[in-house]
Amino acid sequence: MENLDAGIIYNKEVGPGYFLLGLDWRPLAFKPGQFVMLRVSDGLDPLLRRPFGIYRVMSGGNGVELLYQVVGKGTRILSLKRPGERLGVLGPLGNGFTMPPKGARVVMVAGGMGIVPLYPFAHEVRGAVLLYGTRDAAQASVAGDFKELGCPVRHATEDGSLGVKGYVTELLKEELTRDAVVYACGPAPMLKAVAAMAAGSGTQCYVSLERSMACGIGVCLGCAVKGGAHADAENKLYKMVCSDGPVFESKEIDWEAF
Amino acid sequence: MKEISVNALAVEIAGIRMKNPVMTASGTFGYGLEFKPYTRLDAIGAVIVKGLSLRPRPGNPGPRIVETPCGMLNAIGLQNVGVDCFINEKLPLLKDVKTPVIANIFGETVSDYAEVAKRLDSAQGVAGLEVNISCPNVKAGGMVFGTDPASAYKVVSAVRASTRLPVITKLSPNVTDIRVMVRAVEDAGTDAISLINTITGMVIDTERRRPAIANRIGGLSGPAIRPIAVRMVWEAASVAKTPLIGIGGITTGTDAMEFILAGATAVQVGTASFIDPDAAVKVAEGINEYVTRHKTSVAALVGAVGR
Repeated sequence: MENLDAGIIYNKEVGPGYFLLGLDWRPLAFKPGQFVMLRVSDGLDPLLRRPFGIYRVMSGGNGVELLYQVVGKGTRILSLKRPGERLGVLGPLGNGFTMPPKGARVVMVAGGMGIVPLYPFAHEVRGAVLLYGTRDAAQASVAGDFKELGCPVRHATEDGSLGVKGYVTELLKEELTRDAVVYACGPAPMLKAVAAMAAGSGTQCYVSLERSMACGIGVCLGCAVKGGAHADAENKLYKMVCSDGPVFESKEIDWEAF
Repeated sequence: MKEISVNALAVEIAGIRMKNPVMTASGTFGYGLEFKPYTRLDAIGAVIVKGLSLRPRPGNPGPRIVETPCGMLNAIGLQNVGVDCFINEKLPLLKDVKTPVIANIFGETVSDYAEVAKRLDSAQGVAGLEVNISCPNVKAGGMVFGTDPASAYKVVSAVRASTRLPVITKLSPNVTDIRVMVRAVEDAGTDAISLINTITGMVIDTERRRPAIANRIGGLSGPAIRPIAVRMVWEAASVAKTPLIGIGGITTGTDAMEFILAGATAVQVGTASFIDPDAAVKVAEGINEYVTRHKTSVAALVGAVGR
């Protein structure tokens, strides 16, 4: 865990509103699924850092790449940053993915920017299937990175411009075999649906969650999600996405409350 | 970093000696342990831990926080491990830290407060208590006690009678006249007063047409509230006989100096620790830079702005 300023090597648009940010910071250790808290402004507004998943270590190993989408004030400011500018980085944070058991058939399910933490995971678990749901073909531009890793990629798009028309959960139906292990990241409705399908077929399923958070280190207690039936002690009713997660086994979460 | 000169920064609050006037605000610093990888706990004046209740509390449903201009709104709901777990599992891990540890306490009833105080009284390694009568985010207790002088008097009296430890009372800004509350808790025997806790606020998600946080109303913190906090410390100082601890949106040494000049003997760094886990130490360094540049000491500047 480090708390430092990193320099921007590049910050380029790689898809509609999608940016690839290269930082001259190489974390001492990092697990797929971990994230960093970035300070996008030196000023007081916006005040809080923002969480970003680590996409990959830069080729050559001189830094890391974060992939983000412009969705609000913080990411808009970030998208205007130029090479040479510096950003406060805190991380890597969170638990990261639990690796699948040997011999498991690994199925990744990504919705939109949920693709980010799955890349370093796919890098370690070669050959995993990627089911990738996006609004349209243009949004799915990073699929090539997964193909380079040897991942079979199946697309679902809302407008039908690539792969099947509809949601990514349509693709998951055919993949939910007994020997499968699912790793999912994406918007809340997608995760809910994936968790329900996995529970229905008795398939092991891991989800990477996103919530507003102030600190990223488990102290502001802002990013609480309600634990499922397995939540034990009274004070453990809520799990912190930043420090207990962001990756959870889907049965750890109360999806009704999510 | 430059060495912080000891004498110019040292202050004492109700017998608690601190190497510098910077404390961590309850609820923004966990149980202290979480910050060990990121900061030098020994370089902080005092560590105040998350509010402790008699029994563990799960906290409120999410969303619990939302960012605001130069600040944030929260309604955590005093999620905590409970006083017994704190004493048995957290406190022992802080024993090597060479800075006073202050326990913030909270109750739903007056007798809850007294019982939590009693249990901490016999615990090793607690330098003092801070009584939270000002949390806006819980249904029972909390701010109810902090906005009515008679109730505040009852709580602080009960805590005072239950402990030999120094008692700091943390006041709510959600009152018409802070001076009335200062007098009430001093009459009840508090040894010091910290202020302000968060200011009640609300954010509405216009697209969804509903409040941004599940509790609907929350507590506003961060630099946005600093001028209000400075004004209230200045007002409190006009009547206070006990030392004051200024809280509200401090992110730099200069910010801290505003509170000290207004009449605070010490300060607390809160929301800033979320943005930079090393913030409290940096504020202490900033105060050091200020007193060095002005060839003076913190103690000499308390209330120096005048009236």
